[in-house]
Amino acid sequence: MTNSIAEIENSKCIFIIGSNTSEAHPLIGSRILKAKEKGAKLIVADPRKIQLSFYADIFVRHQLGTDVALINGILNVILKEGWYDRKFVEERTEGFKEFRKVVEKYTPENVEKITGVRAQDIRKIADLYARSKSSSIIYAMGITQHITGVDNVKSLCNLAMLCGQIGRESTGVNPLRGQNNVQGACDMGGLPNVYPGNQPVSDGQMAEKFEKAWGTKLSTKPGMTLTEMLKAAMAGEVKAMFILGENPMVSDVDIQHVEKSLEALDFLVVQDIFMSETARLADVVLPGVSFAEKDGTFTNTERKVKRVRKAIEPIGSSRQDWDIICDLSTRMGYPMRYDDPSKILEEVAQVTPSYGGIYYDRIETEGLHWPCPNRAHPGTPYLHKDRFSRGLGLFHAIEYLPPEELPDKEYPYFLTTGRIYVHYHTGTMTRRSPSLNKEVEEGFAEINPRQAKELGIIQGERIKVFSRRGEIEIKADLSERMERNTIFIPFHFVESAANRLTNPAFDPIAQIPEFKVCAVKIEKVNH
Amino acid sequence: MEYKTVLTTCGYCGCGCGLYLEVLDGQLVGAQPCKTDSVSQGGLCIKGWNVHEFVQNSERLTKPLIKKDGQFKEATWDEALDTVASRLKKIKEENGPDRIAFLTSAKCTNEENYLLQKLARAVVGTNNVDHCARL
Amino acid sequence: MKAMQARVRKLLEENKIDGFIGLKMEHGHPAPFMFSRENLGEMETLVVGDVRYPLNKALLKVSGQYPDLTFGVMVRGCDERGITELLKWNQLHRDRVIPVGVACSSELAQLCECYKPYPSDWVVGEKTEGIAKSKRLQKIEGMNQKERLSYWLNQFNKCIKCYGCRDVCPMCFCEVCSLEDRNFILTGKLPPENPTFHLSRAVHMVGRCIDCGLCEEACPSNIPVRTLYKKINEIVKEYFDYRTGESSEGKSPLNLLGEVTLELSDVNK
Ligand code: SF4
Ligand code: SF4
Repeated sequence: MTNSIAEIENSKCIFIIGSNTSEAHPLIGSRILKAKEKGAKLIVADPRKIQLSFYADIFVRHQLGTDVALINGILNVILKEGWYDRKFVEERTEGFKEFRKVVEKYTPENVEKITGVRAQDIRKIADLYARSKSSSIIYAMGITQHITGVDNVKSLCNLAMLCGQIGRESTGVNPLRGQNNVQGACDMGGLPNVYPGNQPVSDGQMAEKFEKAWGTKLSTKPGMTLTEMLKAAMAGEVKAMFILGENPMVSDVDIQHVEKSLEALDFLVVQDIFMSETARLADVVLPGVSFAEKDGTFTNTERKVKRVRKAIEPIGSSRQDWDIICDLSTRMGYPMRYDDPSKILEEVAQVTPSYGGIYYDRIETEGLHWPCPNRAHPGTPYLHKDRFSRGLGLFHAIEYLPPEELPDKEYPYFLTTGRIYVHYHTGTMTRRSPSLNKEVEEGFAEINPRQAKELGIIQGERIKVFSRRGEIEIKADLSERMERNTIFIPFHFVESAANRLTNPAFDPIAQIPEFKVCAVKIEKVNH
Repeated sequence: MEYKTVLTTCGYCGCGCGLYLEVLDGQLVGAQPCKTDSVSQGGLCIKGWNVHEFVQNSERLTKPLIKKDGQFKEATWDEALDTVASRLKKIKEENGPDRIAFLTSAKCTNEENYLLQKLARAVVGTNNVDHCARL
Repeated sequence: MKAMQARVRKLLEENKIDGFIGLKMEHGHPAPFMFSRENLGEMETLVVGDVRYPLNKALLKVSGQYPDLTFGVMVRGCDERGITELLKWNQLHRDRVIPVGVACSSELAQLCECYKPYPSDWVVGEKTEGIAKSKRLQKIEGMNQKERLSYWLNQFNKCIKCYGCRDVCPMCFCEVCSLEDRNFILTGKLPPENPTFHLSRAVHMVGRCIDCGLCEEACPSNIPVRTLYKKINEIVKEYFDYRTGESSEGKSPLNLLGEVTLELSDVNK
């Protein structure tokens, strides 16, 4: 997030797009409601009638995968009406001309044809967003999990820059990260092209710095992304994988492909706390521990580094994950020894400018937002105050592209996937929690009631859902949340895994699969 | 006899709510929101209130496992880690470091993620490091 | 604070109690903790303050594990009402609990609109007068029926079904909770069935709610559930002349239901 969670409460206008915040990020959802109670305007754009839409000043359901068109339509109105922040555009951005040229084509009337959102609603959104004193954009996987995920995000940045709704308190472009420490995993260099703190591996100077710190020679060749790894595994080019606490067997698009890839490996190590679907395929399984059994830090979605504290001893002979990695490294001939995790974060601070001032003694009581370059620095709740990371903010001229797969005669409905309030990710933890499992025990497919009636499907009946990739059997759940042409399936349930159906097409830059749109057909199950 | 509450950060979603784990004689017996935490402000979602439950689930892996003839066999830490170390070293020597790939974890701590990518880059010598968070 | 520390130390040293459930200042936050003879050295970290946690709930957990031991617990007016009821419901044993009282600050009493913001005896704080009639409740009672209905439906629609209002409640000790009865309340959707979910809980608060307000403090959606239960308490007082937790005599009206029939129109008066 460019801005902190606390700031949401004081926004004057909040634009939520592609985020079912009250279910997937409940405690941010509650901040949004608090803002609303303080008088903020709420704009919700989502194909499903989500809980927050009840409180929206304006709620629109754009057709799946038409985010760029919708946002361009909003931008078009703002430009035409002159509601944009001229000073901000002049002083802090570039690329405005080319951007303007593209956006001019997206009149609200044209956009209505693409998105299904009425032109007058597009005008109203533009008005609320551009003319409020401080507007924040909140989005989640509904924006990123598309072949145009990067374009979607850039379009939202265009919107914030055009209106000068960034670099100030209670504004910004705020992605909500799905898992507790995705932010931290990225910050710590869990990416093929960067060291911790986003420092490129291909930059010789960086490599030199890390070579010195780590006392060894390093490769400057960027590595493979997960998608590339799996492909390479299938082709025999990757022979071994080490997977720490993840379950790509359920979370990845196109599970069948993942399974084949992992099976093709010569050697697979999985370090996890449960025998996940992925761990089953491993040659060696190392039992790590849960967050309750270790000390450390998580970095939440607002870039705040917070303490994790050990409450109980590791279960059985499981060992703390950091300790296992140190031991393995030592056995491979590179001794790694730390008295405790605080010493590891000290090393992180040495090599990572954005974490340079983050030490355990400083986050005893309250976390710190990075960037926090030195011990005296108070942390940075909101980014881009006087300049963007690259200097001037760059407008992108972006054209709308439809999703890779659209409904047709054979597969006539849209399928979209997401989370529900009870479960988390692939359910390895939540489904083993009695209270949570009891709350929702099995997967379901939400279908519009009129649509269901046409198909002769009744509430609770078992149905089959097919796509070009596979099929699943699942319980039908008739719900007014859905529009007629679209069904929704939460992705937590392995026995009715939505990702057997989803389309493995992915964004060319971010390599995020298009989980949010594919085409399916539905049939009754006749037992 | 000991009852205490331990201040920590929720292990589920990215909100990062501050919560207390309740510990009675070394066992987790509950979770509750920290009233003075800046994120949770004394509230949690259903996952947070029950975050202690999965930890002591009977299906937890408690011993290292090595697969032999398609079956997992319990192993000691020495056996398991030596197997991993020698297999990875062998593949690295015979096929090159870029034949090995690592996935770090959005569920693990910063410290652990840092160490795993360090293992990949400094010890194995590859930048084949990614995570599942796109998903 | 010092007075509380001294009292707890004395109780422990004289073997009057085996543990004391209170608040400990740790990492800059007050947190529930049990002081005992083994950790007397930490007594300096015992705090009082205005931040409240469900200490009675912690007490139930510990005493459930050690039924033969005696525990002290820090109580305010509401907590003491809680103990009184928990004794009646056989959740605690009279000889096994020694409450140590705190009288609430007037700010806290105002915030809570508490009718008795002090226990029968206290070692910290000064007595402040209780608040007879809740302004928050009056405001809602000032609405006409239609406004009131839409007000509540609108509030309940914000619910994220965290069950925090129940989980934090020191008076919710049932093994089976009717909020989880699938024949009664559907699950899997947010908001939960409206108003069934909330009214079910409200009904079960009859004779149980001690008006501590921890439920409302735990509600991430800012739903004024406490105000709702204050109304329940008022009805219980009016119809059964029962004030939950006020005296150790008499049983909760829930035990009577069945003999008395309530007309809905009576309640709407
Ligand atoms: S309690 Fe709920 S909202 Fe808070 S971090 Fe945990 S999962 Fe997220
Ligand atoms: S605490 Fe609030 S949000 Fe949670 S279940 Fe109760 S009323 Fe609903």
